[in-house]
Amino acid sequence: MFVKFLFLISTLLTLAGAIGVVAVKNIMHACVFLLASLIGVAGLYVTLGADFVSAVQLVVYVGGVVILMIFAVMLTGGDKADFFNKFGFEKVSAMGNKKTYLVGSAVLIVFTLSVGKIIFNIIDLKSSKDPQSYVSTVEQLGHLLLTDHVLAFEASSVVLLGALIGAAIIARPNRGVK
Amino acid sequence: MISLSSYLLISFFLFLCGILVIIARKNIIAILLGIELLLNSAALNFVAYSRYTAQNLDGHIFALFIIVIAAAEAAVGLAIVIRFFQIKESIHIDDASQLQS
Repeated sequence: MFVKFLFLISTLLTLAGAIGVVAVKNIMHACVFLLASLIGVAGLYVTLGADFVSAVQLVVYVGGVVILMIFAVMLTGGDKADFFNKFGFEKVSAMGNKKTYLVGSAVLIVFTLSVGKIIFNIIDLKSSKDPQSYVSTVEQLGHLLLTDHVLAFEASSVVLLGALIGAAIIARPNRGVK
Repeated sequence: MISLSSYLLISFFLFLCGILVIIARKNIIAILLGIELLLNSAALNFVAYSRYTAQNLDGHIFALFIIVIAAAEAAVGLAIVIRFFQIKESIHIDDASQLQS
């Protein structure tokens, strides 16, 4: 019962946040809607029994990535400037206009029709099978990360170090000027 | 109980929203927001399948690595955006038309 309630709340938060990211005209509001969507996905992880993944999602995504996005929005001054191309006969607003949304919707319809032929045949929303009960996954995940997946674990540490150093070097102003 | 298909439908909808954001928006940061939605839908699929069919925790490991890669991608992408803004005074994707300024 509680799981179903949490599932409904999280689904609502996820879908509303995703729609908000698509529809809203202000980039800062879009960041806040993305925050709602990511919190909803963390709630869905809880209903799936993935407690550690849910905690990591909250800490890394909600606490890290979205804050980084908001920093970048503030450092670049929002979405005030429109783009004029060289000949000056076309102007596209930074948050998209009717034409770009039309093209995107056409792509989505084609995608949904092609994928939906497969997906909508196998959907059954009334599954009565109850999967295993909820247990803590932290200990098993630790064992897996340090036995089966230890190479990927170490490689991801190198990836993170490289990404952070690269980000610091790329964002440094006046490169090459002593 | 909640079936696997409902999670798949939520993930499908998240994926559609991400694609629409990437295509329709012209702001580089908004496009990065769309990429985050896509990565989340993929990770949600991994965890859902891990619970309903695989009966082990490899899907959780994949979701963790997706989150790590997304964090690294966001750091590098936003650094590039900030550097691009310092050079071009714009974050419109159509201004990013040359490799060398």
